[in-house]
Amino acid sequence: MTLWEKLRPYGMVAPAILVFSVFFIYPIFYMIYLSMFDWNFISPTKNFVGLQNFVDLFKDPDFMQVLKNSLVYMLLTVSLTIGISLLFAVWLNRTGVFYGFVQGAIFSPHIISLVSISLLWSWLMDPEYGLLNWAIGLFGFEKLPWLSHPSTSLISLVIVAVWKGIGFNTLVFIAGLQSIPKDIYEAANLDQSRPWKTFARLTFPMLSPTVFFLVIINMISSFQVFETIAIMTQGGPVNSTNTLVYYIYDYGFRFFKIGYASAAGVVLLVIVGLLTLLYFKLLSNRIHYR
Amino acid sequence: MKEANRTIAEGRVWFQSAGKEAWMAKGANMAIRAVNLIGLLLLVLIFALPFAWMISTSLKTMPETMVFPPEWIPKNPVWQNFSEAWSSGPFLQYFVNSVVIAVCILALQMLTIIPAAYAFARYQFKGSGLLFGMVMITLMIPSQLIFLPVYLELSAWKLLNTHLGLILPFASSAFGIFLLRQAFKQVPEELIEAARLDNAKEWKVILNIMVPLVRPVLITFALFSFIAHWNDYFWPLVMTTDETARTLPLGIAKIREVEGVATWNILMAGNLILVLPILIVFFFAQRQIIRAFVYNGVK
Amino acid sequence: MMAKIELKNIGKKFKDEEVIKNLNLTIEDGSFTVLVGPSGCGKSTTLRMIAGLDKQTSGDILIGGRSVNHIAPGLRDVAMVFQNYALYPTMTVRENIEFGLKNRKVPKQERDTLIHDISEIVGLTSYLNKKPQMLSGGQRQRVALARAMVKQPKVFILDEPLSNLDAKLRNQMRTELIQLHRRLGTTFVYVTHDQVEAMSMGDVIVVMNQGVIQQAASPAKLYGDPENLFTAQFIGTPAMNILNFSEVQGLHIPAAERIGYLGFRPEHVLMKQDLHREGFTLDGEIVTRESLGAETIYQIKSKAGVFFVKTFLEPMEMNSQIKVTIPYEQLYYFAPDGQRIRGIEAREKSLSFVGGK
Repeated sequence: MTLWEKLRPYGMVAPAILVFSVFFIYPIFYMIYLSMFDWNFISPTKNFVGLQNFVDLFKDPDFMQVLKNSLVYMLLTVSLTIGISLLFAVWLNRTGVFYGFVQGAIFSPHIISLVSISLLWSWLMDPEYGLLNWAIGLFGFEKLPWLSHPSTSLISLVIVAVWKGIGFNTLVFIAGLQSIPKDIYEAANLDQSRPWKTFARLTFPMLSPTVFFLVIINMISSFQVFETIAIMTQGGPVNSTNTLVYYIYDYGFRFFKIGYASAAGVVLLVIVGLLTLLYFKLLSNRIHYR
Repeated sequence: MKEANRTIAEGRVWFQSAGKEAWMAKGANMAIRAVNLIGLLLLVLIFALPFAWMISTSLKTMPETMVFPPEWIPKNPVWQNFSEAWSSGPFLQYFVNSVVIAVCILALQMLTIIPAAYAFARYQFKGSGLLFGMVMITLMIPSQLIFLPVYLELSAWKLLNTHLGLILPFASSAFGIFLLRQAFKQVPEELIEAARLDNAKEWKVILNIMVPLVRPVLITFALFSFIAHWNDYFWPLVMTTDETARTLPLGIAKIREVEGVATWNILMAGNLILVLPILIVFFFAQRQIIRAFVYNGVK
Repeated sequence: MMAKIELKNIGKKFKDEEVIKNLNLTIEDGSFTVLVGPSGCGKSTTLRMIAGLDKQTSGDILIGGRSVNHIAPGLRDVAMVFQNYALYPTMTVRENIEFGLKNRKVPKQERDTLIHDISEIVGLTSYLNKKPQMLSGGQRQRVALARAMVKQPKVFILDEPLSNLDAKLRNQMRTELIQLHRRLGTTFVYVTHDQVEAMSMGDVIVVMNQGVIQQAASPAKLYGDPENLFTAQFIGTPAMNILNFSEVQGLHIPAAERIGYLGFRPEHVLMKQDLHREGFTLDGEIVTRESLGAETIYQIKSKAGVFFVKTFLEPMEMNSQIKVTIPYEQLYYFAPDGQRIRGIEAREKSLSFVGGK
C-alpha cells in the first residue's frame, strides 16, 4: 500500500468533516463555553460568571414559563400527531391511484415552507374573518380568538404542527406497515383472527419500533419549533407561546445577552442530547428486535 | 383501475360464496364503502381547502376579504395583488438569492458527500469509525441548536449578510453521506474488481461506475436538499439583516410589515409565489419526493 | 509471449485464519488449468491472488518469469471473467468492452477494430448498444468473455463463469470455452466446484482441499490413479466407494496393517456372478435402484458397509440378495491418513490357498 493509498480516504472525507467540525461540532463546545460568561456581543471583554447564567435562568419565571410551554407543546403535538397518523396509516395503507392521491394530499404541507404555512394559518385563524371561525360556526360554535388569546394560542400552534406533520408521519407508518410480511396476515386469517385482534396482537407490536422512532423524532423536532412562533405569535400573547428556540433567539438577537442565551441553548442541547441517546439506544434494540 | 377491478372481482367471489345472506351483506358493504369514500373526501378537504382558500384570497380585493361569512369565488379576480406583492420589496433579488443559495448548497454537497460516502463505504482506514461517528452526531444536531455560536463565528469572519454565510455551513450533509454510503455499500465488490482489472483509476471507478449506479439515490437527495433550503426561513433570518442577501421566504414574511397586518389578499398572493414552484415540482415528482422525506424519517 | 504462471510457497491469511498453506504450483503456458474443490478450499483465493485482487501473505507469484508481487491487477496482463459477470450496468455492451481499452489509452480506431472483431467472434454485433440488463444470461456471459478477450491478455482467469447458467446453456458454453481456448492458445485458469465441469474442460486439474493442493494431474490420471482418499472420492459420480478396511473380510493382503481403507469405483463392480473373473467378492442386499436410462445405480448394503454399483446398458437386477465381484486390479488401498498405497496385490484367502496346492 503506497502512502497515497493510505492517505486517500482521509483526503476524501476531509471536506465534509471540516464542514461538520466548523459548523456543527465546534459550535456546541463554543456554546457551552459562552454559557459561562456575561457578554453583550459588542463589548470587547467577556466576564466569566461560572454557572450564574443557569442560576438566573431557572430563577426567571419567564424561562420557567418557556420550559412549560415547550413541554406542553411537545406532549400535545407528539401524542396527537402519532395517534392520528397511526389511524390514518391503517386506513390509507392501500394501493391504487385514489389512495395515492390522498396520501400525496395529506403529505403536501410537509414540503411547503413553514413561512407559507404560518402565514396561511394566521389568516385561517383570523378571529374576525378567518375560515376556521366560519367552519366552527357551521356547527353552531362561538367564534374563537385562536392565536390572540393566551388560553387558545398554544393549542392553535399545536393544530398547525399536527396538520403539517400528519402526512409525513402517516407515510412513515405506511412504510412500516408494508414491511410487515403479508403471510403473517394470511396465517392470522386462517386462524380466524378478528380484524381488531389482528391489529392489537400483530400489527401494532410489529409496528412498535416505528412508533418509538416517530415519537422521538417528533419530540426532537417539536423542541426546535421556531418559524410558526416567530411569524404567528412572536411568543405572545403574554408569553403564552414562547418556547426554547424563540427564547434563545430573543435573548441573543434582541437583548444581546449572549451568555444567557447560550445557557438556554445548553438546556436545549441537554434535552435534545438525551432524546438522541434514547434514539440510538432504541436503534440498537431494534436490531435485536428484528 | 386495476385495483378497482380486483376489488370488484373479489367482491363478486365473496358475494357468490356468501349465498343467501348476500343481499344484506351487499347492502352493508355498500354502506361501508360509501362511508369510507366520504371520509377520504373529507380528509382531502382538510388538506386542500386551506390551499384553495389561499388562492381565493389572493384574488380578492381587501374589502372582499372582510366579508363574513366568507365568499369562495371573488367576483372580479384582482391579479394586481401579485404584482403588488412582488413590488413590495426587492423580490427579484430575493428570488435570485434563493436560487443561488439552494443551487450552490446542492452543488457543494454533491462535491463533498460523494467522496466521503465512498470512502466510508469502501475503504478500511484507521479512525473511520470515529469520523463516521462525527457524521452521525452531526446528523442529529439541528441548526436551531447551534445558530448562536455559528452566528458569532460568521460574524468574526465577516460572513454575515453574505451568500457564503448562508451556503458554507451546509456545504456538506450528514444525511447525504449516510444515504449514499448505504447505496455504495450495496454495489457488488465484483464490479469494482472488474474495473481494477480494466486498469481503471480510483476516480474513474467512482465517476464512471459508482455514481451512475447510485443516480436514483442522488436524485432523491437532491430533491430533499433543494426543497429544504428553498423553504428555509430560520437560517437566513438569523444570519442576515441586509436585503441583498435575504431570500424569498423572508421577503414573503416581510410583506406584512410593508403592507400592513390585515392585507391578507396581498400576503396570500405573495405566499402563492413561494408555494407554487414547490407544489408544481411535487406534482411531477411526488413519488421521489415522498421517498426522499420518508426515508429521512425512517433512516 | 510466455505466460507460465508460477506460485512459490504461497501462504494467505485472512485475519488469523490461514486459508492457503505453502502452496506450490506451476501452470504451464497455454494450458487449460482447472482449480477444483469444495467451497472454502481456497481455489478462488488462489485465483484472485494470480489476478492481483487479493495479495498473498507470503511467497511469490511469477507470470511469464516476471514477479508480479507488486504489480497492480490492471497491469498484470490478466483478464478475468467473474461468476456474476460483473458487467457495468450503467454502460452499454460496447462501453463495457471498451472501458479497459480506454483506460489503457488505446487509440479510437484501434478500439473500434478490436471491438468489431471480438463481437463478431462471440456473436454480439447486434447487441452492442444494449445495456446488460436487456440481455439473457448466455449473452451476458458472452459480453463478459468479450470484455476479457479484447484486452488480449496473457492469462485468462475464469471464476465459476458458468454457475449462473441453466444446464443446457452451461453445456453449450463449456464447448465454446474449450474451442475458444484452442483458438486463442492463451493460458486459461478456471475455477469451479463442479468436478464434472473440471473433468470435461481441463488439460490439467488441480484438486484442492482446505488450502492444500491434493493432486494436480490430467483428468485421466486423476480418475485412474488418485493420490489420496480426497481426490478418489472427489472425482467421479457416484464417488468411489470407500470401505473401512478393518470391516472387510475375505481379502488376503501382505502388510495389511498399513491399510486404513479399501476403495473401488461403482462402475468397476461386476454384478453377473457367472463371470469367471478373479476378484474380491461381497455379499449384500440391494437397498435402492435408480435407473438413469442407460445406467442403473444400485445402493447395496453389505457387512463391510454400504456401497454403490453402477451398471451400463444392462437389464435391471431384480433380486434383492446379491453377490458382486470387484476385479483385484480395480481395488485401491489407502493408509489411515488417506494417502494412497500402491503396489499391493491381493488374493482371496481360500483361493490363494487352493492355488498354492
